[in-house]
Amino acid sequence: MKILFVMDTRVDRGSIQAAANYVRVAEKMGHVIAIYGHPNPDFPSLRFSADIHTFDYVVFIIEGWRRWMSGLRVPRVLSAVPRERRAILDTDGMYNQAISVDSYDFNYLSEQDRSEWLAHYRLLADRILQPTLAPHQPGVRSLPFYGYDADAQVSCHTSFAKRFDILQVGHNWWRWRQVSESLLPAIEKIRPQLGEICFVGLWWDAPPSRAGGMNFEAAFCVDPERLRRLQIEVKPPVPYTQVIPLMSEGRINVMTQRPLFRHFKLLTSKYFEIVSADTIPLVMLDPAEAESVYGPAGRELALHGGVADKLLDALHHTETYRQIAHEVRRHLLAHHSYFRRVQELVEALQT
Amino acid sequence: MNLLLVAKLDRYARAINTITQYVRAGKDLGHNVSVFGEWRSEFSWLPHSLEIGAFDFAVFVIYETDDFPELPHLARLLDDIPRERRVIVDCCGRYNDTVQVEHDSNHFQKLDGHHGWEWIEGLRAVSDNILQPTLRPLRGDVRPFRFHGYDPTAVARSYSSAGEAASAWSGATNGVKPCGVAYLGSNWQRWTQMRRFLEAIEPIRDKLGTIRLAGWGWDQRPDWASELGVSGVDVDTTLLGRLRVETTPGVTFDNAISFMSQAHFSPIFHRPLFNYLCFVTNRTFETFCADTIPLLILPDQLIESIYGPEARLLAPHEDLAWKLDDIMRHPEMYWDVVLKTRRHLAQHHSYRKRFQELVTILES
Repeated sequence: MKILFVMDTRVDRGSIQAAANYVRVAEKMGHVIAIYGHPNPDFPSLRFSADIHTFDYVVFIIEGWRRWMSGLRVPRVLSAVPRERRAILDTDGMYNQAISVDSYDFNYLSEQDRSEWLAHYRLLADRILQPTLAPHQPGVRSLPFYGYDADAQVSCHTSFAKRFDILQVGHNWWRWRQVSESLLPAIEKIRPQLGEICFVGLWWDAPPSRAGGMNFEAAFCVDPERLRRLQIEVKPPVPYTQVIPLMSEGRINVMTQRPLFRHFKLLTSKYFEIVSADTIPLVMLDPAEAESVYGPAGRELALHGGVADKLLDALHHTETYRQIAHEVRRHLLAHHSYFRRVQELVEALQT
Repeated sequence: MNLLLVAKLDRYARAINTITQYVRAGKDLGHNVSVFGEWRSEFSWLPHSLEIGAFDFAVFVIYETDDFPELPHLARLLDDIPRERRVIVDCCGRYNDTVQVEHDSNHFQKLDGHHGWEWIEGLRAVSDNILQPTLRPLRGDVRPFRFHGYDPTAVARSYSSAGEAASAWSGATNGVKPCGVAYLGSNWQRWTQMRRFLEAIEPIRDKLGTIRLAGWGWDQRPDWASELGVSGVDVDTTLLGRLRVETTPGVTFDNAISFMSQAHFSPIFHRPLFNYLCFVTNRTFETFCADTIPLLILPDQLIESIYGPEARLLAPHEDLAWKLDDIMRHPEMYWDVVLKTRRHLAQHHSYRKRFQELVTILES
């Protein structure tokens, strides 16, 4: 099968890591997956194609903004591929009722906003796929989409020196509440017992200048002074090819998650990248959520209550946590490999 | 003919004046021209329509990607108007291989997320009939169509002679003008030329009175330009301060002529890309409607072919300060050129003529 992903290709965010894995693994399985576009040196591991006509299916990978689906880009795709051969992967849960989680994170500013989104969706395809194990809307097909890449696993023998005790890799987009109310108080409590800490990603130093105009001040909320007080280093994001090696520079990596994604149980690349790295992956999910993805051993990786104690425990009992991570990897290999993901995608499109 | 114009309207930018003129000229010539979309009070003088089936042709006026309507509307347009009845006016030379001139380019992937190939293939997906407001398209499959034009009825003040104009301009009969130099336009890819202009007039700064720049980006480099690493929207506030240059926000299109009329001089710059592509803009023509002496800081080829041979005298070339000084000493001679150029523009570049050219293209 030949599948074309039409997506907003950005080197340091979104689903780009997953797309690279689909391209690579599909080839091993006798399929062809490419990203709509022309070859681009910023994306060395991706196959690009603009020959839309040669593909059997088009999958629009749609995140929380849609300006990239411009009137210049989309008509060409729609005219080349009939509707029944198009699907939407709704990565950010836009195909849901409008919701505000904890009066903080939300998918739509207004019902008008939602109706415009859904008008776009109706135009693109009937088939909606969501990377969740539990879709909320009828007609949505669950397709976890993101997966574990055993080939990317960084071995402890080849790993870089551990420069950081704690790393958090991810942009400050709807994460500040979780970080400021759970993670930072824990770090504050045990700061003298910790070495270097680093947050890598956009907007940990300051919100973007356009945040106010976008009505998204809360999404980018940050207190750089508090981070400085806690001696937390802030670094810009790295390209997707460097995410797992970078994570491997931390003894512990903490995965934070925006509330909306937790509410809809949406998976992301980060769920799996953090396990591919040579690090102790701790995820800010409740134990049941962690188990649903990572298997029974995953409960031990949940950073949910008693955060400070858990961080210290992980640092002091490295070998125990390495064993837990090892168990989790075995589970992911069995249940969440990209081989399985490609099969699921092919099935979803053929159904 | 029933003509549907598809464009994003902005009272401060893009082709709002040109579109207004097409609606008027079309009506005068017995055609029906509407803008695609729902009627909006802010553009109350423009007829709007969503009745796609009622139109013979759709003319897409494209500057940016968001000049295309939102997708559901666009899909209806493409479904209901056959391809051969769609035309694109490519106002920024997007339908070319990528061209880089100084900091300027026809494709800014950092800003709109689209590479050059996608502009070419995307525009071709909408229509085979692509027009550019240029004297000489680079591609063989583009037709030259200047699109913008001159409206003689919009001239701020008509004069029966150059002597009368010079007298009014000098303040003898019409009061003193509040500005020496007024420039209207955003600081998008203009700074290199503006800097050169300001440095050149520095020796005669005290003779000029107020210098005023209207448009966004003249007071400071926008934050987004710094964040994205986009050049060509630079500014040197020290230079502006030293020359006592006033900067103000842009003015709406219906106040453009009166704004320029406040000044003795109004320079016409085109962005470097447009100079290279020999493109014209609304301001190329509109400045001659103002009660001012236009300074043509444009390529010679464009000056001659648009404004006629007389207009060369309005081009300062390398000695701007001398030219301004000379105009101030001999205003009648220069106003004679301005008045002749207005007549030339009225004869060759009126919107009535433009509209007829468009009809010929559509019917061919």
